[in-house]
Amino acid sequence: MRNSQPESPVSSISERLPATDSQASITQLFESMRPDLLRFAHWLARDRSLAEDIVQESLLRAWRSRDTLKDQGAARAWLLTIVRREHARLYERKRLELVPLDEALESQTPAKAADPDGDLFTLRNAIMRLPIEYREPLLLQVLGGFSTEEIARELALSTTAVLTRLFRARNKLRTFCGLAPAPDVAASEAAP
Amino acid sequence: MSCEHARLMIGADPEGSAPELEQHLQECGSCRQFRTEMRTLEANIRRALERPPASARTVRSTWRPLALAASVLLAMLAVLAVWLLRPSDTLAREVVAHVQEEPESWLARQHVDAQSIDEALRGAGVKLDITSDRISYAQSCWFRDHYVPHLVVQTAHGPATVLILRNQHVSARRNFHEGGMSGVIVPAPQGSLAVLTRGGADTDAVAAQMQQDVRWLPDAH
Repeated sequence: MRNSQPESPVSSISERLPATDSQASITQLFESMRPDLLRFAHWLARDRSLAEDIVQESLLRAWRSRDTLKDQGAARAWLLTIVRREHARLYERKRLELVPLDEALESQTPAKAADPDGDLFTLRNAIMRLPIEYREPLLLQVLGGFSTEEIARELALSTTAVLTRLFRARNKLRTFCGLAPAPDVAASEAAP
Repeated sequence: MSCEHARLMIGADPEGSAPELEQHLQECGSCRQFRTEMRTLEANIRRALERPPASARTVRSTWRPLALAASVLLAMLAVLAVWLLRPSDTLAREVVAHVQEEPESWLARQHVDAQSIDEALRGAGVKLDITSDRISYAQSCWFRDHYVPHLVVQTAHGPATVLILRNQHVSARRNFHEGGMSGVIVPAPQGSLAVLTRGGADTDAVAAQMQQDVRWLPDAH
């Protein structure tokens, strides 16, 4: 059967196959989002090559489901959601060999020396050290621009749980940055 | 609005604003100071996230033989550790730590609707026959690299927390007391069930009931 639907939105495919105007348009749209998707995936996965795999797979999934994208203005949020789910799938099914995070961060010391802004370097490391349950909603909010309610839907959590996780994420970062941590709100609310 | 609530709102979204919050900030200097600090931190977080992070995982082909040898050694150590540390103890500790991280779960009193329960079960490979009017909290939580249903069931003697652990296998039931909680982990057809209480709920009875109410689907993925 003739393959009238290109299997990938990436430019390598669009260069190979003749595309209709709408296909070319959506290819261009997806490609324009790639840097944002890659950065988001990289912060989630904390690994460049893994992030590239995630983004590639996500774009493939997005291309196959492109008919469900009715509003191109919503493409960024839609693609970020696909990337998050792809990362979660990969995280669930694949056991990657890890090097200790401290070791990996220490190996970046020359970069720190070259970084004119040491505070940001510290903060990047602190974000890297956040557990995934705190890092994920923070990235969805800050990089993705998702509202608390949208994050709650995406992560299958209550809005209160998302607020608590976002609070705790930033509270941990406060500590890393030398600020006194705020009392844990949820814990104090739960106290008798 | 209390200071605690104000700080939760600020910490969750430093750039956010709501009339109630603004009113509180007009009257509370320390919360104003907290928001100023958090907004400064937020600006730095946004700047920090503009650049991708340093990779925590490294894959270098020249290191593969060493990595392989290290993996074998680690696997052997892991087997030894599993034997020495008695995994059910470790599992109980992690279950307690997880529940302690969601203290609000004990406070829920309203019934959870069937849709929220379905969402909590989504992807976990289980179905529940239990009637939703006994469940006051239902979340899908990240636990040991999997999403697991985290439920609070109301009983005549107080709430009991149930974690449905499809991917955690235990060979025998094990009671535990830790962190002000008592509970039991019981083997199940395709994983295990953890039931905890902070008060007088009968965890054995809840575990027995959940054994009947949980239906394990053939394939979780």
